[in-house]
Amino acid sequence: MHVRGYIGIFGALLVLTLVTVGVSYLQLPTAPTIALGLAIATAKATLVILFFMHLKGERPMVYWPLALTMFLFAALFVSILWAEMDHITL
Amino acid sequence: MHIPYTTDVRPDTGLTNPKLGIWLFLASEVMLFGSLFSAYALLRSGSTSWPDQSAVLSVPFATLNTVILISSSITMVLAWVAAKAGELRRFRLFMGLTLVLGAAFMVVKAIEYNDKFSHGLLPSTDNFLGLYFTMTGVHAIHVLVGMVVNAYLLWPGSAMFRSDSVRFTNRVEIAGIYWHFVDVVWIFLFPVLYLL
Repeated sequence: MHVRGYIGIFGALLVLTLVTVGVSYLQLPTAPTIALGLAIATAKATLVILFFMHLKGERPMVYWPLALTMFLFAALFVSILWAEMDHITL
Repeated sequence: MHIPYTTDVRPDTGLTNPKLGIWLFLASEVMLFGSLFSAYALLRSGSTSWPDQSAVLSVPFATLNTVILISSSITMVLAWVAAKAGELRRFRLFMGLTLVLGAAFMVVKAIEYNDKFSHGLLPSTDNFLGLYFTMTGVHAIHVLVGMVVNAYLLWPGSAMFRSDSVRFTNRVEIAGIYWHFVDVVWIFLFPVLYLL
């Protein structure tokens, strides 16, 4: 990617940061706030991972371990919450 | 001593060893921070009351830190671009900027922590603050380690720029991938700890 492309990604990240803070001032109820905040954070992270970390166009040998990692992270997250379902309110 | 596959790709993986290595390392780091985020989700959803996070913590400071880290990521990328293009002075400029921004992040964090401590807000005060100090503390240690690596590449390590520039550029790329990961973790820490 050329320098201009990287600067463009940087601009998008700054805009999304402002959006993150702006959304928090809307004082939405808890569930939409969490969903929206995490969605914007995921969008920013995706930009960094795909372009700054050169993951776009990487080889399968990198993709597969990362896919496994994301699956295992999701399993960790879910199983921790699932184990405590009787004691927590989601 | 010759270290294999630092510039040539391995025939079986199609990657250089450091490239595969850093991604596998980051995979383990995902599990580290992932377990901390899971702990946050569990403790918060299992609590009867939770403090208003944006009232306890400083959103302006954290927003500043987010901008600082994102900026350090772009300077890190541009440092790699410069190294790849064989421009030593430009590499030094951008790597130096990355270091300065990393230091600025740590200074803001120190101010934040000090502000909490001076008001008697400690990790032991409640679950939220315990999580806040642990998660940002572990993250800050990662920032510090990244800064040490970047400082090495900026000064003593940059001798390799002349002796083996391709290998040096690859080192910068790998250090960059780690640095961007530290940025990604903060991208999630910021909304979760400060805004939700």
